[in-house]
Amino acid sequence: MGSVTLNNIRKSYGAVEVLHGIDLQVDDGEFTVLVGPSGCGKSTLLRAIAGLETISDGQISLDNEVINHLPPKRRDIAMVFQNYALYPHMTVAKNMGFSLRLAKESKSEIDRKVRAAAGILDLVPLLQRYPKQLSGGQRQRVAMGRAIVRDPEVFLFDEPLSNLDAKLRVQMRSEIKELHQRLGTTTVYVTHDQIEAMTMADKIVVMRGGHVEQMGSPLQLYDRPVNVFVAGFIGSPAMNFIDATVQNGTVITPSGAILGPAPDSLPDGSAVTAGIRPEDIFLSDSGAETTVGLIEPTGAETQLTLRMDGASLVMTTRDRVTLSPGDAVHIRVTEGKLRLFDTQSEAAIW
Amino acid sequence: MNETARPYYWAFISLCGAVIAVYILFPIFWLFLASFKTRDQLAQLPIAFWPEEPTLQAYRDLFDSGSQSSQLLNWPTLISNSFTVAVTSTIIVVILGTFAGYAFARLKFPGRDLILGGLLVSRMFQGAALLLPTYRLMNTLGLQDSLLGLILLYSAFGLPFATWIIASSLREIPVELEESAMMDGASRLQAMFLVVLPLATPALITAAMWHFVGAWSEFAFASILLESSANKTVTIGLASFVELFTLEFQKVGAAATLVAMPIMVVFFFGQRYFTRGLLAGAVKG
Repeated sequence: MGSVTLNNIRKSYGAVEVLHGIDLQVDDGEFTVLVGPSGCGKSTLLRAIAGLETISDGQISLDNEVINHLPPKRRDIAMVFQNYALYPHMTVAKNMGFSLRLAKESKSEIDRKVRAAAGILDLVPLLQRYPKQLSGGQRQRVAMGRAIVRDPEVFLFDEPLSNLDAKLRVQMRSEIKELHQRLGTTTVYVTHDQIEAMTMADKIVVMRGGHVEQMGSPLQLYDRPVNVFVAGFIGSPAMNFIDATVQNGTVITPSGAILGPAPDSLPDGSAVTAGIRPEDIFLSDSGAETTVGLIEPTGAETQLTLRMDGASLVMTTRDRVTLSPGDAVHIRVTEGKLRLFDTQSEAAIW
Repeated sequence: MNETARPYYWAFISLCGAVIAVYILFPIFWLFLASFKTRDQLAQLPIAFWPEEPTLQAYRDLFDSGSQSSQLLNWPTLISNSFTVAVTSTIIVVILGTFAGYAFARLKFPGRDLILGGLLVSRMFQGAALLLPTYRLMNTLGLQDSLLGLILLYSAFGLPFATWIIASSLREIPVELEESAMMDGASRLQAMFLVVLPLATPALITAAMWHFVGAWSEFAFASILLESSANKTVTIGLASFVELFTLEFQKVGAAATLVAMPIMVVFFFGQRYFTRGLLAGAVKG
């Protein structure tokens, strides 16, 4: 068992409060990703769970036992740091066995556990090397090996892939996910990369300014964001936002182009922010008129930047595009995919 | 600088370096060579650079209990006293400097940077200005003419710089390494001893070397505090020796070589750490 419960976690540095009462439940075996822009408090929250950061108020529990007062070494939690934090003066084997050595396990037992963990991560041939002799991906794996060798209740990852190049990041992302599926250890993972969050998480927690904006499964957040921030943060390319008004039961742009139907609850004349995912826009013979600005083929799909009412709209299509910049095209929004947000509060309306 | 000028530039720099090295080292080398000559060879004209028949007689005279120089100055005692003072104060300075440096590097407390800066400022006082107050203080404490007094004094003088060097070096070591160790089950002290200090070895060696050399060659305070011949150190011995044997320059050379030997040994084994330790914090890693 390894469920983590956070109750009203607050953290202040002097007069500045950086975490404003966070509540979060991470179930046993769940892969939870904390995501948000820099400075949103996600790393602070992770470090608080680790015990590396004290909290000003609230309760952190592991399997219903409050662990606020316990030092990191007594929490049975392992952490993988952003810069890996491998001990430079120790070989891979010594790095991985360090926690077992501190726990005074026998040499043969340490050897056995290190070899087992190294086997899982393909590190056996590297056991006698020093960290400086390893590539970025190998170091990342050693850092994970050091965590799994202890067989802890919870793994914490603090932006572990941010130092890797794009290709390696994709590979390691899969490896971490596979590892989680294999070991089933409760994991809390911090990243600012929403693609990592989407691809890896059972549950995503979107944070901003020390608050939780929304939590839920990746597709819940993608399909039903609770506000403009979450809608814009989750998804790549990001959701398009257009100022619009409700007229005769439809949502129209300032130039009069119809985006789709409006809910009955919104009276005529209501100002709204319309949100449309790039894949929910399609070219059509009729509909709102736009001008093609930019065409970016990526192979599998093409990304078009369209100009409408002085704003830019991004759409993606899997069709081969024969258009040129400057061409006029008509677009429509897939039925049922138009999202509406309150212009003032930015909360989702529909 | 263009490509053709570059070799000339480096040749010029190297030449300047060589001239400065010869300028500084020649007197020391001359003294060293003199220690292998006889008194007659030293007096002969024209001056011979290399000893014609190298001899260790001057060194034997220092330790030969029958010789005049040995009766006036007991070199084994002088050396033993200097070792006691230099080694003990080095151990004290490195141990206390390590803990203090760690505190300055890692812990947050009011006035931390001010105090660390203050430590460095304390190094800027001329030692001579402190001679009299130190003498009175030692007298009051009953520590004059004792090796313990000198050990405490040297430790107090050496601690600020050692602390500063060690703190600078520890600040370069990512705090995540320590946090990682603590997540792995280490206490703060274990994290410090098992992870941080092995990585700070160059700084620890530098601090130790710097202090040892300073303590070994210190003269002013030793000369005003130590009175009995049983407590005197090599620098005082050497000063007395130069006065007594001005005309026997080969013996002066031998004594000076003997006194300089531990420092040379320390630098020989520690020099690769020395620049690394002193440069800690100078550039981003």
